Amino acid sequence: MTPTPQSTVRRPTSDLDVYSDEALLNPWPGYRELRDAGPVVFLERYGMYAATRYDAVSHVLRSPEVFPSSEGVMMNDEMNQVLRGNTLCSDGEAHSASRRVIVRPLTPKAVRLLQDDIRAQARKLVEELTGRREFDAVTDLAQYLPVTIVSNLVGLPEEGRERMLVWASEMFNCFGPPNDRTRDSFVVLGEMMEYATTQAVPGKLRPGSWAEAIHGAAARGEVPADKCPVMMIDYMGPSLDTTIFAISSAVWLFARHPDQWDLVREDPSLIPSAINEVLRMEAPIQDFSRSVAVDHEIDGVVLPAGSRVIAFYGAANRDERRYPDPDRFDVRRNPTDHLAFGAGPHTCVGMNLARLEMRALFEVLVERVTRFEIRSEQRALHNILRGFARLDVTVHV
Amino acid sequence: MPKITYRVGDETTTVDATVGSSMMHDAVRNDIGGIIAECGGNAMCATCHVYVEDGPVDSLPEVGFAEDEMLDCTAAPREQNSRLSCQIPVTDALDGLTVRVADEQA
Repeated sequence: MTPTPQSTVRRPTSDLDVYSDEALLNPWPGYRELRDAGPVVFLERYGMYAATRYDAVSHVLRSPEVFPSSEGVMMNDEMNQVLRGNTLCSDGEAHSASRRVIVRPLTPKAVRLLQDDIRAQARKLVEELTGRREFDAVTDLAQYLPVTIVSNLVGLPEEGRERMLVWASEMFNCFGPPNDRTRDSFVVLGEMMEYATTQAVPGKLRPGSWAEAIHGAAARGEVPADKCPVMMIDYMGPSLDTTIFAISSAVWLFARHPDQWDLVREDPSLIPSAINEVLRMEAPIQDFSRSVAVDHEIDGVVLPAGSRVIAFYGAANRDERRYPDPDRFDVRRNPTDHLAFGAGPHTCVGMNLARLEMRALFEVLVERVTRFEIRSEQRALHNILRGFARLDVTVHV
Repeated sequence: MPKITYRVGDETTTVDATVGSSMMHDAVRNDIGGIIAECGGNAMCATCHVYVEDGPVDSLPEVGFAEDEMLDCTAAPREQNSRLSCQIPVTDALDGLTVRVADEQA
């Protein structure tokens, strides 16, 4: 046999289980191991490649012709079938058409109209909680704006609004590889999809809501009518949990780094930068995937056509090749290039609203709170999402 | 290296731009003020708004749908020559381009 040149046989592999309980609760050592092993590394346990370095993840996300989304962005075949054709899982013209509809209430201009209401509600909430001194930063603080304001904007009927938090979390679990967490969550996903098809329909949705606007767009022929149920998932999935986890992670980081909290208190103009740094450190969505359309080389490693590559946002954001001292929480860093919102054509469509919700809360918290003290914490154990199930804090005012 | 000139308020700065970068990234790397680029260059925030003033304006790529949508959201008024600098890749053809950074971005 003729030896194949080194450059074409390089295929770093790893037997690391990135979805074990231990790795999900503390992914950073594993991410570092994978980054050091190569630009993309074959995960033997899952039969998929992992992109963990910043440049590789950014490249995958920004090259949709090589790494399309229309064969799904999840880590199991079944889920990739379920969401086929929604905005998240489409490419090219079909993607542009549905994204144009989904982005309408979420542009900077549209979100500006929500600013006063969100700020007023944030102030009222923070004043009440700081008066109490002790609260759960997840249920009492982080969930409030998404659940009261955003779920109303989405506009599902009452029962759907109440179930949205559970549905969203279980749906994201179904993004994982075939494991127990994914399998257990499929039951609830069925309920969510059924609801999106039979209940999220004109006549039942709040007039003027985002969900209703999807049907309006379909009626005008902007998107195919049969896409409405899966497009509902574009709103029902990511609009609550992700922001909630980001807010709770922010409180957790500020509690553990009082010096950084002091910097923001002294100079509230650092809030936008601090929020970017929170998102860099603790990306609420840790990973989605892409299929590989054609053989493609990344820094000497060939990804074969037909394979799947997982883009680990959380790992890219801690890449020492990109961010000096990446594990240090530094509110002055302002890493606007972090990948917590993704990058490229599928960049998070709700980022302007998410930022507004976070800013509104922390603008009032910096006025009132001198220290966050954690009394007890419980991380959510989740295939994809990173954040807290409970975070009991005492605030010093 | 193509030379691109940025006007920010009363200041005018000409930089040696890096081919393959975006104008936004290149401007930020060269410490051109007034560009926030909150979304990291993904046409989602409209805070890297510039007005194209002079030079090889015909060499600029057309405004895509995402950019068009965001240009309706700029803090400073949208003009005929408004662009989001994150959506303009730096190429040799842009040598001699002059843009004015919008005064208000957010």
